[in-house]
Amino acid sequence: MRIIPYIIYLYLLAFHYTILSDLVSIYGATIDLAVLMVTIVSIYKSEMTAFWFAVAVGIVAGTLRLDLMPWEILFLTGFAVLVNNLSTRVNISSITARILILAGFLIVHQTLVIVLISGESFIYLVYRYILPSTIYSLIPGWIFFLIKDERLTWKEIKAQF
Amino acid sequence: MAWIATVFYKYRRLISLILAVALFWLIVLSPGRIRPFIGDISAAALYYPFSELRDYITELNSVTEENRDLRLQVAEASLQLSTQAEAVRENGRLRDFLGFDPPEKFKVVPVKIVSLLQNIYPVAAIINKGSNDSIFVDQPVVNRFGLVGKISEVMPEFATVALLTDPSNPVSGRVAESRQIGIVRFSPENGLYFDNLPADGDFNDGDLIITSGLGGVYPAGLSIAKIDSAAVEKGDILKKIWLTPTVNFFEIDELYVLISEIK
Repeated sequence: MRIIPYIIYLYLLAFHYTILSDLVSIYGATIDLAVLMVTIVSIYKSEMTAFWFAVAVGIVAGTLRLDLMPWEILFLTGFAVLVNNLSTRVNISSITARILILAGFLIVHQTLVIVLISGESFIYLVYRYILPSTIYSLIPGWIFFLIKDERLTWKEIKAQF
Repeated sequence: MAWIATVFYKYRRLISLILAVALFWLIVLSPGRIRPFIGDISAAALYYPFSELRDYITELNSVTEENRDLRLQVAEASLQLSTQAEAVRENGRLRDFLGFDPPEKFKVVPVKIVSLLQNIYPVAAIINKGSNDSIFVDQPVVNRFGLVGKISEVMPEFATVALLTDPSNPVSGRVAESRQIGIVRFSPENGLYFDNLPADGDFNDGDLIITSGLGGVYPAGLSIAKIDSAAVEKGDILKKIWLTPTVNFFEIDELYVLISEIK
């Protein structure tokens, strides 16, 4: 039964890649949901869970581009283990710390993927895709951390309107 | 069995690492077989329902767009069709009129009806040509079926045609077969009739009544009506004949004014 939520996450990821990413993309910048999910699972779950979830996410993300599949698996699992170890050894109770980890992960992932698949100049890719996508992906991550820490509740949201 | 679980738990990190590395190398070293195989499984298990949904939405969008385009095309086509149908009808009427041979020394000026004045029957029609087009009072007006009336009023751009259905517009007529002369009149109660004929005159149903040419307004030989029925009251010396006009005054459209070429 404990595996079911992760299967749902994988379906959510497939839904994002198939339909949602095109709908929510802004001038080519999209939410990197794979990194977002792996980071969150790595921070809040055990090392083994994060590890195997990252492998599964790497396979799902690599299905769309089979040539990137091993690199997606390698990168996501490596980063999942790294983030999990960081979360157990370093104090990342502040949202800023988690956001910084997420931002670093996003930038590295975006850079690897986009540089591998695109022939444009690196500087152009940085300001055209990598940075916008990173900032765009940080927004839902930041909202998630706020909700997770109960700094943003339904009552507060309702009170704003 | 317990020792296996213990060993697995104790070395879970190592086992996971070995398995992941094995999977990684398997995928890296066999790009043509293992990678598509794993990709196919992932696509079939996770992507398939969403790709079907996306295809369905895309198809729905394209069908909606196509439907909108087709509706527009249908509207345009039906408009074109009705315009063409009207052109075909007009063409037919004009072709029919080509068979109409205007009387000698007359030329034909085609006109269109702008307005029709009627109560129970149409009595007058306003046409789109007037004195600027050499239209003058008392010129005969016909269509492809026969005599319609005559010009009664003229303005520079328009003219009024007094139709045969106007009771104040009698016409001198002649039975085409027997050459008997009479007056064709119209009464709102009885319709068109042939008056002033001898009671012993020989008339048959369906005989054609044409203009006699007497009176100087209408040229001789224009079709007016066909004999519908004849009746003689006891003691009458004159016969009254009911006529069916060759022109349907409820359906008149294009008219032709006959202009005399004699100056």
